[in-house]
Amino acid sequence: MILQVAQAIAAKDLRIEMRSRSALSTVLPFAATMLLAFGFALGPDRVLLTATAPALLWLAALFASVELCHRTYQSEAANNALEGLLLSPVEKGAVYLGKAAAAFVQLLVLLGVTAGIVIVLFGLPVGPSPLLLALTAVLGIGGLSALGSLLGLLAVRSRTRQAALPVLVLPLVSPVIIAATRTTEGLTQGSTTGIGGWIGLLVAFDAAFLAIGYIVFGHLLED
Amino acid sequence: MIGHLATRRAPVTTTQPAAVHLSRVTRLFDGLAAVDLVSLEIASGETVWLRGWNGSGKTTLLRLMATAISPTFGGGGVLGFDLHKQRSAIRARMDLLSHETRLYNDLTATENLHFAARLYGVDGRLVETVLARVGLDEVATVRAGSFSQGMRQRLALARCLMRAPALILLDEPYAGLDVDARVVVDELLAAARSAGQTVVLASHEAPPPQFVDRELLMDSGRLAQAPS
Repeated sequence: MILQVAQAIAAKDLRIEMRSRSALSTVLPFAATMLLAFGFALGPDRVLLTATAPALLWLAALFASVELCHRTYQSEAANNALEGLLLSPVEKGAVYLGKAAAAFVQLLVLLGVTAGIVIVLFGLPVGPSPLLLALTAVLGIGGLSALGSLLGLLAVRSRTRQAALPVLVLPLVSPVIIAATRTTEGLTQGSTTGIGGWIGLLVAFDAAFLAIGYIVFGHLLED
Repeated sequence: MIGHLATRRAPVTTTQPAAVHLSRVTRLFDGLAAVDLVSLEIASGETVWLRGWNGSGKTTLLRLMATAISPTFGGGGVLGFDLHKQRSAIRARMDLLSHETRLYNDLTATENLHFAARLYGVDGRLVETVLARVGLDEVATVRAGSFSQGMRQRLALARCLMRAPALILLDEPYAGLDVDARVVVDELLAAARSAGQTVVLASHEAPPPQFVDRELLMDSGRLAQAPS
């Protein structure tokens, strides 16, 4: 039943995004502009560009996740659909998992497109371990989705709304961004030294965020 | 005092437990009592019209029964389940309809109902039937965001019909509705009556008298007169 509910929520969120394209139409231009601006600011120095590219890529993913989670909950706030989820007799943790899954898929697409821009614009090499790089992307996006989907609810219920989301997300998600950046940096430079530790950190944070989200989402949703 | 409390018909007598039993329920918002020491019993199968001016506490009382909000003080039960401890069981058996339709603007009428069916474990094949019943079958594939308020209300009514809950809570169901949609509300009341569903209808507008067993008047968060 938990998986069925999570699947229903995820399918609904993805369908709404495919129809409205609100996240893609706002987040992608933002990420592309940011990368372009940094590219011009850093100049033609190839070494500098490839050195800063992983951090810029994950910074773009971070801002994208904040915007995306905000928009996801905006559609719940319209017509008070959020109350519909509250009053449905389902495990509220399953609702959280569904929302995190939908955010994960959307962010993965956004990261894929952004990575394409970074590879072309900054000349970032994929490196000899593309599978480990893909794992890093999955784990990094997993952490951003897990935390964003939880805190997006807090933000939509707070009086300060959108302003509250970055304030809540940014400090908490820093370890994920640092670990994902260091892993991406190492892998794109062809080094796997110390990668295991950073990937372990990503796994630990993903697991912790998901577990906390599953447990507390229902409490946050209640009056 | 807004007016007098009138009893149109003797309350439904039943051996079943009360559908709603509230004991000295109070709900405070920023220190102000929106609902103040309300004690109330509604029999199973009864249709109650909760009347009162705007701000009298009708909506808050409905939302307390629906478990959308918690009482600050007091307690009670809905459909035999504790208001504080068995919220999920209550939610599975009741529906709250208000001007906030809880629909997704970017989903079509059919998709909105299919989503609700999945959450409530209802057979998705009922979707077409209920859409036809509320007169929205011809716009089934149109997004709810392009519907008028009346059409949205009808879609929300269709969701309620699909679930057939034991307790239906209606908050200003006639507000913003055209004549056709008002007929749908009346049909819902008639169907609920014949199916033995309990209905609490909060409205400052009178519903057709044949559907009402009892009237309760709210004033300043209190029941202005004890229910008969």
